[in-house]
Amino acid sequence: MTHGRLLFTLAWRNLWRYPRRTILTVLALGLGLAFLLFSLGLGDGSHEQMVANGIKLGGGHVVIQAEGYQRTRSQDLLLPSHLISTVDALLQPQHAPSPVHSISPRLLASGLLSSATNASGVGIVGVQPQAEHTVSLIPQRMIEGSYLGLYPEAYPNDEQASGLVIGAELAQKLKVRIGSKVVLMAQAVRVQPEADTKRTNGTNGAGGEIQNALFRVVGIFRTGLREVDAYLVHLSLPKTQTFLGAGDQITQIAIFLHQESASVPTADVLRQQFSPTGIEVLTWREALAELAQFVWLDDAFNYVMNGIILVMVALGVLNTMLMAVLERRYELGVCAALGLRPVQLLALVMYESLVLIILGLALGLALGLGVHSYFATYGLDIRLFTETDLAIAGTVFDPILYSSLSQARIIWAVSVVGALALLMAVYPGWKAARTELPGALRAM
Amino acid sequence: MSEWAVELKDVGRTYQTNGLAVHALQGIQLQIKTGEFLAIAGPSGSGKTTLLNVIGGLDQSDSGEVWIAGHNFQALSRGTLARLRLQHIGFVFQAYNLIPVLTARENAEFTLLLQGVSEPQRRAKIDQLFAEIGLAGFEKRRPTQLSGGQQQRVAVARAMATEPALILADEPTANLDSATASALLDVMVQLNQTHSTTFIFSTHDPQIMDRARRLIRLRDGQIVSDEVRTE
Repeated sequence: MTHGRLLFTLAWRNLWRYPRRTILTVLALGLGLAFLLFSLGLGDGSHEQMVANGIKLGGGHVVIQAEGYQRTRSQDLLLPSHLISTVDALLQPQHAPSPVHSISPRLLASGLLSSATNASGVGIVGVQPQAEHTVSLIPQRMIEGSYLGLYPEAYPNDEQASGLVIGAELAQKLKVRIGSKVVLMAQAVRVQPEADTKRTNGTNGAGGEIQNALFRVVGIFRTGLREVDAYLVHLSLPKTQTFLGAGDQITQIAIFLHQESASVPTADVLRQQFSPTGIEVLTWREALAELAQFVWLDDAFNYVMNGIILVMVALGVLNTMLMAVLERRYELGVCAALGLRPVQLLALVMYESLVLIILGLALGLALGLGVHSYFATYGLDIRLFTETDLAIAGTVFDPILYSSLSQARIIWAVSVVGALALLMAVYPGWKAARTELPGALRAM
Repeated sequence: MSEWAVELKDVGRTYQTNGLAVHALQGIQLQIKTGEFLAIAGPSGSGKTTLLNVIGGLDQSDSGEVWIAGHNFQALSRGTLARLRLQHIGFVFQAYNLIPVLTARENAEFTLLLQGVSEPQRRAKIDQLFAEIGLAGFEKRRPTQLSGGQQQRVAVARAMATEPALILADEPTANLDSATASALLDVMVQLNQTHSTTFIFSTHDPQIMDRARRLIRLRDGQIVSDEVRTE
């Protein structure tokens, strides 16, 4: 037996002098960690889902648009369409920090959609349906019809060419169904002469006049987000460009990546290319600031709640170890008399705490990962608690939340619980190290 | 190096109790040679335990000098005192003071472990000591599985294991019946003679006083008699 092994043997056996107390403390620590992992898993999972949906509803992981568009939302701030091939070339695998899932150009404007019975203000989104259908939420949430010519065999008379897709709320308001005719009215954009990418916000093009055109409803979607379902209208990009007199220009290029973590490096690559040219490159956190802030705030709230629970768990460790030291004052005095130095008395208590903490962390890890694994597979159906769809910060909550925990997150949680518990053991350890002789030998 | 195992020069120790100064030791002058078998006697409150604590570095005197095995024990840090105790002093306390979670062997080799002695050497030493003090076969027992006399023998083995210059025994027979106390005393006399280890007892026990070769009597913190006996 060596020095360290003696202290470990003492620590281990001391812990089992009061097995019930030790088991309860290990349970408290384990349950604390398990709850933390469960909470982090569901929090991260729900945030990932919200962000994924927000990205699908918004401008992708990274959006390129004319400088000033984010602030003004002016439909006259446009980009030349040849930028799409430039971006595509920049994001080829040999240049891009992460593989790109899809690049989707869009033309955005606002207008008025009228049916025979009603009219409503709408947001017009001109899209390339093939590019959009794998990345946008709307093609995935069709409840009637189909998304803009994705299934042309269903429309042998080529009605898709002048078709549009609207949300269920809007369809209800306008009292329209699949096949209904609607009139779209909007102000034509003021088009800049070709490709001056340094100043795209032209103000004296030929546009600005009110345009209107007849369309047919070919699809109805329901995202669960009222602002989207009652407001957005999707048209094909060429139709929208023609309708708005935008030539071949577009409002934004939405870039969808395979990994959210690649957003910033991808945006950096693009900024290096475009920074002095009057083009703004935004990550989803910048483009969807409200969502990013909500995620941050929700994380902060979760940290506070988890922190309170962890403090209670840590106080449990403090109580156990302090009791262990105060009860054994005489015994520690004997150890000190026999030649155990103060630092070794501290080490003895820290060893005991460490064993206790390792047992607690092992239990917590097993429980927490078990619970995480269950909810990562089967999810938590929040329809048990609410009957309506949840829409928060401009995005939607899927009704089934799946737990998601990265390795870094697990390591972080284990480290935080372990470090906090170990910190709590320092005071009892210090008390042991300060064992007063000969007073402690009279304490029996 | 001093010729004395223990040398106290004008040692004083005063406690404050409820605002009153209690002079536990006053002007103690004491010199103890290596290999002495010495008992300190006196009524309760006479300062026996305080004197033993000061000699053992468990307590510090307010005045004077305390020299143990050539080291001045005054004004040392706790860590240094702990190291010196480990190297030079063995303790046998009244209440056995074995560590309950360790076996008899582990208790006895506790100080050897702290000194970093290798396992074969520790095993040989404890086997020898247990044989000498009649504890062979009890190595794996926990303190609760031993009688009071056996526990005190383990404590003696622990004190002897590092072959210290000095063993301090504070009322070691107080909790033992007279037969057991006598047997324990036999063991300590034998160890004293075999190993030339200095033994200092604080005691009320007439058996110890009778067998001590030097008897010091304390009263009110002062040495009132110092009697050296011949065999």
